[in-house]
This record gives sequence, structure tokens and C-alpha cells, in this order.
Amino acid sequence: MTLPAVVLLVVFNYVPLFGLATAFQEYDPLAGVWESTWAGLYQFERLLSDSLFWGALKNTLYLSFVQLVLFFPVPIALALLLNSVLSERIRNFIQSVVYLPHFFSWVLAITIFQQMLGGAGAVNHFLRSNDIGTWDVMTNPDTFALLVTSQVIWKEAGWGIIVFLAALAAINTDLYEAAAADGAGRWRRLWHITLPGLRSVIVLMLVLRLGNALTVGFEQFLIQRNAVGHDTAEVLDTFSFYYGIATGDYSYGAAAGLFKSVISLLLIWGANKLAHAFGEDGLYRK
Amino acid sequence: MGMELNRRNFLSATLSAAGLVAMGPLLSACGGGGPSRAGVNSESGLKAVLPAYVPNTSIKPDIASVAGGPDVMTDPGFLGYPSNRVATVSGVPGKGGKYSAVTPLWGTIPPADNSFYQAMNKALGVQLEMKPADGNNYNTIIPTMTAAKKLPDWIQLPGWWNPNFNTGGLVGNQLADLTPFLSGDNIKKYPNLAAIPTAAWRAGAWGDKLYGIPSFSTGFKVAGVVFYRRDVLEAKGITADQVKSADDLMNLGKELTDAKSGVWAFDDVYRYIYTSFGAPLKWKVDNGKLVHLYETQEFLDAADWHRKLAVAGYVHPDALAGDNAGGNTRFYGGKTLISGGGQGAWNLADLQSGQAANPNYRRGAFNFFSADGKSAPRVDMGQSTDIISYLNINLKPEQIEECLAVANYLAAPFGSAEYTMVNFGVEGTHFTMKDGVPTPTEAGMKEVQAKTYPFLAAAPSVVNNPTGDIVTKDLTTWQAANVKALAKPVFWGMNISMPQAQATAEAAQPVEDTLKDVIHGKKSVQELKDAVTNWKSSGGGDRLIQWTNDNVLQKFGTGQ
Repeated sequence: MTLPAVVLLVVFNYVPLFGLATAFQEYDPLAGVWESTWAGLYQFERLLSDSLFWGALKNTLYLSFVQLVLFFPVPIALALLLNSVLSERIRNFIQSVVYLPHFFSWVLAITIFQQMLGGAGAVNHFLRSNDIGTWDVMTNPDTFALLVTSQVIWKEAGWGIIVFLAALAAINTDLYEAAAADGAGRWRRLWHITLPGLRSVIVLMLVLRLGNALTVGFEQFLIQRNAVGHDTAEVLDTFSFYYGIATGDYSYGAAAGLFKSVISLLLIWGANKLAHAFGEDGLYRK
Repeated sequence: MGMELNRRNFLSATLSAAGLVAMGPLLSACGGGGPSRAGVNSESGLKAVLPAYVPNTSIKPDIASVAGGPDVMTDPGFLGYPSNRVATVSGVPGKGGKYSAVTPLWGTIPPADNSFYQAMNKALGVQLEMKPADGNNYNTIIPTMTAAKKLPDWIQLPGWWNPNFNTGGLVGNQLADLTPFLSGDNIKKYPNLAAIPTAAWRAGAWGDKLYGIPSFSTGFKVAGVVFYRRDVLEAKGITADQVKSADDLMNLGKELTDAKSGVWAFDDVYRYIYTSFGAPLKWKVDNGKLVHLYETQEFLDAADWHRKLAVAGYVHPDALAGDNAGGNTRFYGGKTLISGGGQGAWNLADLQSGQAANPNYRRGAFNFFSADGKSAPRVDMGQSTDIISYLNINLKPEQIEECLAVANYLAAPFGSAEYTMVNFGVEGTHFTMKDGVPTPTEAGMKEVQAKTYPFLAAAPSVVNNPTGDIVTKDLTTWQAANVKALAKPVFWGMNISMPQAQATAEAAQPVEDTLKDVIHGKKSVQELKDAVTNWKSSGGGDRLIQWTNDNVLQKFGTGQ
């Protein structure tokens, strides 16, 4: 039964691992993996002495941190709010509307932002015709982290609530009644029943997010790289693309990708240990 | 490796894997590196093999070509469509062979084995399986085929992707050498191919051997043109000849920008204007010394000019945000009045799209100028064509001759019976004559209008826009006015193939990124200078210049 899924996994996830060898070579696509000259750790030396790489790493970590602080609580809050809506119809309607942007491509999402907030967009048109100064948010490198996070919130927060709504549904409703009978107000019930009930899911999502700290996105930054300048918008994945694949320097891109994977592996392992410290199962438990 | 991986020996497994990595340098004895690259075209070597040129005189253009310097001429113009369609090929070129062909296509891919393909197979006398692939992703599709060594019998490789496809490394290894079939007088066996100018054959020549078959060759290849909304500017009393210098153009920005009504003068025009500042296309030779574009002062001046344009607020904010795809929409909608683009943008489809937005739409182009307004304008011209097709090395000589005979049919001149068949299909099924002009039927729109066969071989480029003669007249007039400004840059037609390290340095991504920031008004010119200094020292720039000097300039000269 699981054979097709296993085959898919093997073909697309495990077999390509063989290509990691290119990170240790000077890969020539015409020669193939077997015939290209071996270069040992040369590509990694190049990588670590490249200031653009460190810039990309710094950006990735900074954006990851901002998104962790600002984005991560949003689906939880949204799920709690939605859960408290009494009417089934309104709740379903809001839920559908709110997770719809997840299905848009980033090209569409950023085009919408550009048409609304861009220099020639709706908001600035209004400001200009009323002689108020224009608000340059789409091309400002200083507020880029906030812009990107708000784009992610608009697009992904709705989708993220699904997991939390499921967890909320699993909490025993008798607990609420008992607490209400004992005189607990809404906020006390939230703090003492709802949040502890969500705790294992929150910790699991946090572990996954920490492990994915080096993956902040690709298309989103690819599209906006020209708008704010490459020093602000460069993340590890776009670095790998522009300085690796796009210039034919495949080995260099592979080295950057491998570096990212190794660090991410260590991050997931660390985050999982952290989860165990909180008493939760985390991603896996031996 | 067959090792049992569990908790106990995970650590030792990691250590041995690390040991393998440390052994890397020892392994460099294995793996001999890739196939050698073709090198460079030399003037004498190439002259010996270039095909003879026998121009076609049966069909006379309405607007004749105007000559400029060596190998420079405007494209001939045709108004309407000839009613007398001469047949240039007698009989059927093929002998029943079976071939597969891959070409890029920017448009909707026609259904396989459609009525047009079947009609073409009958006319050609071969079973030619056309497999057009998406043009926008073509540069990711081809490397998979070349890496697997599974190229089709006939493949088109656009010249602008030569570095990406490593065409210099493919010729002789996977692509067939056509020199014995086409050099000198051998080409007279194929009269339509002989009518393609010699300059175009250079584009497909590598290491002094002929490999590629050119399509749409032209004597007027420029990187780009600065277009403007002629209808809008003329209504304000502004004409193209009033713009004679970079300052004139900047002043237009002030005059035409009206942000409150949503109109900005400029879209991103840097790429189409930097050569006006005297900056070379890529290389220049100053008193025998090789100089790269990035080392010139003119490069910095051009970037600074565009930076001032952006900072002054004359450039549309969407262009500053990097939205190039929407450029045409902004132009048609009158949100930008001055835009840049290739000559390919000036055609019938453009006229129809523009008129759909504004019935008075008329595209115009500024003449080439020099930045200071005093020296004679000079623009580096590109190689004669970028649309080149190659044959697979595994084909036998009789098969190559059959394919060349097919190419001869496909390269029939404009207005001939064969040209009509290739570009419009069968009369009645795929097109009908309306007002003396071939108009596609619905079947024709689906099966023929997308360019498939012409990308394998085609006659030299002409300007023809049936039902849109004003476009033909405007474009040919503009070309004639500017033909004197075109000149061959250093290394023209030499098809240099360089090692990967040099190719990456040539791509100079960090400099290009900083350049983009400068022309969008975000960084200063000093930062661009720093990026260039960085590129020269640690980005491989100096090594690139040294390599090009030693391997190209010193050995083969400038190719002028």
C-alpha cells in the first residue's frame, strides 16, 4: 500500500543525495559526476571566505528570528479567536477566507502587495492626490523584515490555524465547565486549560520551525531582491541559486546547500532536545 | 557502503565519512575533467571554411536595405504580401528519413502530430518529429539532455545561452561538424542556405569549423532600443530628433512625469542606453591593452546617470521594484512613456496590443546619441544572429545531407511558396487571403502561428507586418537613420568558449547586483566602484582579463 509513496520518497529525496558529491568537486555538467575533478573542501573554503555568504546567512537568521517572534504567535491567536466564535456558518466562512491566500503563488501575493502598497499603488495614489507624502514600503531596505513578515502572516497564518484548531477540538469540554463552575473567568480558563492543552502541539511546531530556521523562503525573496537590494534580501537559498546555479558554478551552490542542510540537522536535533527538556515528546523520542 | 548503521556505530561511521572527505585531494587523481572546449575562431582559419554567399534576387523588397559599415545593413522591408509566390525549391528535398527536432517556443505549444506537421512532412519528404519546448524554461531543459548525452537529431541552441549550455564544449562531442558539407562552394548545392550572409555563419562557427545553421540573420543587431510613445510625445510637440544627448533625455523626464495622474516618464532603460555613454558592450582595446567594461569610466557614468533619473522620481515605481514583466502593460497603458526593449518588440502584435489600449498608439524610437551630444553616436553591434540550430554528431553523412536539404527548404526567402508554407501553412486549411494578406484561420492560429520550423533554419530577417504597414515603415526608417552608428566591437564573431571558472567570473553576479541597486537609486557610484574592485581581486575578474588577453587578444587579435 505504501509502496508508491516509498518509491516517490526514494526517487525524489534519497537518490538525489548522490548529487551531494558535487559539493566536493569542481563539477562540469558535460563531464558528469564521475568525470569531474575532485576538489576536497575547496568549495567550502571559498564559501566561508565569501562575505556575500556571511551576509546571506546573517539575513537568513535575522529574518527567521523576526518571523519567529512576530509570525509564530499569530496562528495560535487566530485559532483561539476563531474557536470562540459561536456561529458555525460564520466560523466556516472566516476560516475559508483566511486560509485561501495559502494557495496563491508568491508571485500573485507580491503583485497584490505591490499594487496596494507600491509606489504607484492604491495607497500611495491616495496619499499623493491628497498631497500627503508617499509611503515607500516596498523598496525600503530598513523595514524589509517587517514587510516580509507581514506578507507571510497574510499568506500563511490562515493555513497554520488548522493544526491548532484540531488540537483545540481535542481538549475535553468538561474541563471548561468544571472551571467555569469553580468561578474561573475567560482569561483564567485560557491560561489554565486551553494553552496547556495546546502545549504539545505548540512545542512540536516550535521544534519544526527552529529546525527550519535556515529556510525562510525562496520565491518571496527572489521576486523582491531587486526591489530592496541584494544585501537586504539575500537569503541562503537565493544565494545558492544566484551564485551557484545561475552562473553555472554548480559545485559552489551545492556546497552552500550542503552547509545549510548540516546546520539545519544540528538545529533540529538541538530543538528536539529542548522539547524533551520541556517534558514534551517533540519530533521524536527514542 | 553496506555498513550497518545503528546508534552504536553512528559515531564511527561519521568519523570514517569525515575521513573520506579528507581524502578528497588524494582522489583528484581520479576523474580527468570534462571534454575540451572548442577554443576561439581565428580570422584566417575561419575565412578558409566560411560558405560562399550567393544572394537571392528573385524577390525584390519594397523598402531596400541600406548599408552601413562592414557587415552592417538594415533589414529590407516588405509592405503587404507578394501575390506571386515564387517556388525556389524544385521537387521534394527529403528521401523519407526519420528525425526528431527540439526548438524553444515562446507561446502555446501546438498539439502533436497536427495537420500542419503532416502537411509539412509531405512537402519536405521526411518524417520530421517536431518537439517544441517551453522557451522560458529552455535553459533548464537542455542541460539535462546534454548531461545524459541524449540530444535529438536536430536541436536549436539560442546563442545568448552559449555559456549556460556550454555550446563550445558540445561541438565536436555531441554536435556534428558541417564544414565538409557547407564550406566554400559546397554550399551552392543549397541555394537558399547560400543566400544567408557570411556573417551569420560565423555565429555558428566554433574553433574554425562550421557547426550551426543560422536563422533570422540580420545586419542590424543591437542590444536594445529606447522606445517612446510617439502618439503621446508628438501631441506635446516632442519629436525624436530633439533628443541629442543624455541631458536632453533627462529633461524629458522632468517634462513628462506627472506622478499625481499616475504617469512616469521612464521605465528601467539602463541596459538600452549605457553604450551611448561610450561604454563598450563588454571589451575594449585601448592602445593595445585589453580593458573590460567594468574598468571604464563610461560604465560608471552611465550608471550614475540612471541613478540620478531614479532619485529624481522620473522612473516608474514598479520598475524600481524590479517588475520587468509588467513593462509592456505600463507602456500600453500610458503609465510610462519611455521604455527600453529589443527590436523584436516593434511588430504587428505590439501594434495590435497597443491599439487595444489606445487607438492612437504608435511606437517610436529615439535615435542613438552620444551622452555628451557632441561626438558621433556609436553602438556596438551584436553577432548576426542568436537563433542557431545544430545537428547531432551521430547522424550519418547521407542523413546530414538530407537534413541540409530540408534546411534549404526552410530557409526559402520571404514571399516564396516555401516561405508561405512554413509560416502560414496550407492555403484554405490554415490561412486564407484577405485583402491580399495571408490571414490565419483558427486551425492556423493553433498549429502554425507559433514559430517551430523557422527556428531550425530561416531566411535572413525582413521587416514585414501585413495589415500593420506603418510599423514596417517606422522600423525601416529608424534603422536607416541609425545604420551609420553601428560598429563591430572587439572579438566580434569569434565565439570564445572559456573554462568554467572564467565563465563564472564573466557572469559577475555580485557586480550586476550592485549595479541594479545603483540604477534604482539605492546605492552610490562609489559602492559600484568597490564592487568592481572586489570582483577584480577575489571575484576572478583580473584572472578573466588575463585569460582573455593571453588566449584571445594575443593569439587571435580583435577580430575587426
